[in-house]
Amino acid sequence: MVLLKNLRPPTEGVRHEQAETTAVMDGQKVGCGTLYVAETRLSWFDGSGMGFSLEYPTIGLHAISRDVSAYPQEHLYVMVNGKLGGENEAEMAEKGADDEDDASSNSSSGDDDDEEGAITEIRFVPSDKAALETMFSAMCECQALHPDPEDDDSDNDFEGEEYDVEEAGEEHGHADIPSFYTCDEGLSALTQEGQATLERLEGMLAQSVAQQYHMAGVRTGETNAEFEDGMEVDAAAMEAGQFEDADVDHW
Amino acid sequence: MESQQEPEHLPSGPTEVVNSIRERTIAENSMVVLLQGLQGQVTTVDLKNESTARGRVVNVDAFMNIRLDNVLYRDRRGQLTQLQDLFITGRNVRYVHIPDNVDIMKTIQSQLARIHRVRNFASHGGGRKEFATKTK
Repeated sequence: MVLLKNLRPPTEGVRHEQAETTAVMDGQKVGCGTLYVAETRLSWFDGSGMGFSLEYPTIGLHAISRDVSAYPQEHLYVMVNGKLGGENEAEMAEKGADDEDDASSNSSSGDDDDEEGAITEIRFVPSDKAALETMFSAMCECQALHPDPEDDDSDNDFEGEEYDVEEAGEEHGHADIPSFYTCDEGLSALTQEGQATLERLEGMLAQSVAQQYHMAGVRTGETNAEFEDGMEVDAAAMEAGQFEDADVDHW
Repeated sequence: MESQQEPEHLPSGPTEVVNSIRERTIAENSMVVLLQGLQGQVTTVDLKNESTARGRVVNVDAFMNIRLDNVLYRDRRGQLTQLQDLFITGRNVRYVHIPDNVDIMKTIQSQLARIHRVRNFASHGGGRKEFATKTK
């Protein structure tokens, strides 16, 4: 099995580090080293510069196994879509380093690994079994940071237009309309500038730790202007006033 | 047996609260809300790689990442393993079985109501403002 030698442990965004962790790949013991659960990738290094890393989009599931009848030691089980090891691994790591967002295409070596359902089973066996829960939770958090960008279920899109607050209002009466207007309703009324600003604001929101609800409400042009979106706009935001109405004229 | 979840009870635990606007918006506009309403129920998840996992739903997020505990995992070859905690990446989910005792419409409605309550609770000044006069 080929291990990569030119990767270094991540230094930023490391949610959890677990030393004295043995890595076992598809039943083969790789060595004892340190597991790094970082926001960008999951990696493991044996301390002498050898190791491997996994991109979260390629991870199908992870679990805590305490069933010693299935495997003699309690461990963190990780199932990776596709095959690691051999030629694939070098290619996958380079793709991982160069292009974080496209890690799911690791079948580029020519094998249709993903479609055939080939998987790699990795077990991380820490010497400290009590750490398993923390390791697991850290992985859950990091995995959630990497939602599937190729989700073919377009309902997950912000840009879905299925929910029209006006139609809902006419059918059910205004009392049932939530006072918060989601992006879906207002998006159709946004100009290109509005769209760009919305994206910028979303980006800012994503970075904001506090997650305070200062996002401007976006509404369709026809809705009653008296209806607050339920979320106050930060007075300090210079362009706050522009979002009280999504009217084109405001620009 | 009715759902264990009281409508007023917000999920506890580090990663269970739907705490982002984006996730709420996504959830509200997709069937994921139904899965989120299964919290606390035991059910089976079929994965795309032909394996299945049966356990108690701890959490489902807007991206359909599913967390189960007390899991019986059956791999493609039929081999059974017990797992204490399992996190399935949304992309790998094929089916989620809805338990027979779950009232689907009610579950969806109560989940949507919960989302709306969380939203309104978060607005400054508390509660809905249907006739706001000015912003602060």
